[in-house]
Amino acid sequence: MKQLIADCREMFVEQAQYRELLYEMTRRDLLIRYKQTIMGFGWAVFMPLVNTAVFSVIFTRVAPIETQVPYPLFAFCGLLAWNFSASTFRASVGSLTSNAALVTKVFFPRELFPFSAMLVALVDLAVGSTVLIALMAWFRVPPSPYIVLLPVVVVIHVVFTMAVSLFVAMANLFYRDVKYIFEVVVTLWMFATSVLYPVTSLGGRLGTLLRLNPMTPIIDGYRDVLFGGKPPDWLSLGAAALLSFAVLFAAWLQFHRSEFEFAERI
Amino acid sequence: MPESVIAFDGVWKKFRRGEHHDSLRDLIPALVRQFAKRREPTLEADEFWVLRNVSFEVRPGQTLGIIGPNGAGKSTALKLLTRIMKPTRGTARVQGRVGALIELAAGFHPDLTGRENIFLQGAIMGMKRDAIRRRFDEIVEFAGIPDFIDTPVKRYSSGMNARLGFAIAAHVDPDVLLIDEVLAVGDFSFQQKCYERLESFRRDGIPIAFVSHNMQAIASLCEQVLLLRPGQEPVLGGVNAVLAEYVSSKGSLADARVTVLEATLRHRDTGAALAGPIPPCAELQLDLELRAEANLPRCGVMLNIMRADGLVIFTGMSTLDGLSESHLQTGDHLTARIVFSANLLRGTYTVNIQLIDTLRQWPAVIIGGVGSFVVAETTRIAGCAEVLPLYEVAVARAVRSGAKVTL
Repeated sequence: MKQLIADCREMFVEQAQYRELLYEMTRRDLLIRYKQTIMGFGWAVFMPLVNTAVFSVIFTRVAPIETQVPYPLFAFCGLLAWNFSASTFRASVGSLTSNAALVTKVFFPRELFPFSAMLVALVDLAVGSTVLIALMAWFRVPPSPYIVLLPVVVVIHVVFTMAVSLFVAMANLFYRDVKYIFEVVVTLWMFATSVLYPVTSLGGRLGTLLRLNPMTPIIDGYRDVLFGGKPPDWLSLGAAALLSFAVLFAAWLQFHRSEFEFAERI
Repeated sequence: MPESVIAFDGVWKKFRRGEHHDSLRDLIPALVRQFAKRREPTLEADEFWVLRNVSFEVRPGQTLGIIGPNGAGKSTALKLLTRIMKPTRGTARVQGRVGALIELAAGFHPDLTGRENIFLQGAIMGMKRDAIRRRFDEIVEFAGIPDFIDTPVKRYSSGMNARLGFAIAAHVDPDVLLIDEVLAVGDFSFQQKCYERLESFRRDGIPIAFVSHNMQAIASLCEQVLLLRPGQEPVLGGVNAVLAEYVSSKGSLADARVTVLEATLRHRDTGAALAGPIPPCAELQLDLELRAEANLPRCGVMLNIMRADGLVIFTGMSTLDGLSESHLQTGDHLTARIVFSANLLRGTYTVNIQLIDTLRQWPAVIIGGVGSFVVAETTRIAGCAEVLPLYEVAVARAVRSGAKVTL
């Protein structure tokens, strides 16, 4: 127990000490985005827009489904939120192994790699949300009053994303298989989440299974507070929040405790 | 504020030969093994001690040199100090802000400019943004690349890269300094600048641990030296004693064809065995007695003197100086007395002897490191040989026409 408190203290002290490095690493990744590209930040919205267009054709013409708001808005909102998690996961999973020179030679909290990956994705999310606002204006969908609850959803989303990325970054350092497995997992996971279609309506065993996925209440939460005109489903979002914080705590602690092995095992 | 200090307290560190179970396929058997056999503090089959029971303490103003052959654990020792790794047993302790001159350009991103990389690398080394901004001009000035500061570092030459890395590291303002063989960067004048910088850190009373293969640098910067050798006990001691041990142990090739019965370096005038440093230009005498354990025809005795950093001071051979060759048969004794003058400047030197087959011009027997000596002297600026200059300086005034005498 004493050890646990000491470890937690150390985790936070290190983060406070190295907060400027976190800023610099995030800045680095954003700067590189600009270098030798013409579109720069445009890429942050380009992919979700293309996907929105493709799936709009599929789900309004080929196999029409019913959504509360115009489908492009539904899909773009889902893709934007999903991309925040997915790109954080993708950047985190190889972040330790691709920075082997730093991991084996220089000391600083290694959590900064997945954390800065997350901050970069958060900037992308912010950039993308301007397009979301434009889409809402275009389809004349007014923001719901529950938009004040948006920060709650964002915090839960960020916590869950941090937790998973810490875990996969660490796991990939010890077992390189993780990177390949996780690539498949991320793809399947998107279709098991209500990114492009609502999955909550599904019944049966598959429906029960899908309800265990914490990403669904989070993404549904975004839609509810932005334009659903209703508060998020507190029961499932609450469960997702509880799970997110628990997993973050466990993953971070485990990450911190095995950090000193990274240089030897990489 | 507590005194800054670098210390090892009975540190043991083990590594594993070969790979860890790196893919999931190997995880299952590894887990089973771990379950079957409780973790023990002893060595398993594929493990080895890279550091065994190492202790030292470096206080403000002191510099510890860490030397040893490749793979002896020098860099590992520094990694334990920077907390990148944890010791298996014992404690590695650093009090104060660590400046680590290790892998200086590790954080550089090739697409970013020199300016952007200074901020990134500075932050990696633990500098605050304000501090970097304040010292930015100094860093650029030190690296000597003001014209290229807004060029992406991927277009830098490797020398420029290394210079920028060192310049950033040199401005971190550490409480303690760990250095891993990074001073060999850049051209001669930049290296001079690096050593001057280290000197100034030392004068400021910063404890330094310094890993190097450059024995001259070790000899001039350190008072205390830690010698690490694979599979052997560490040796900690004064710089001269440890350097002498290192260079003599390096060359000691035990050759089964001879048994060395005596090998002693003496003062020529008194005949006393050497103890402690000698002044330059001392007359020395090496007494050597060997028993041949095999037939060694046509032998000449070769004398070789080397400085600790590997510089060959002298190589010569008895037969080339007019002495006839010796034919040794099993059981014969060979005694040799070699008198020479050590017209040398400060440094640590080893004496090596070889028996050369004069016909085949090939060393028959190498007897490395039969002795070593330390020359102590502080009056010369640099160099290796004492040439005993005599200065005669005179000034002849030029006749200045039209010079007015003013009172």
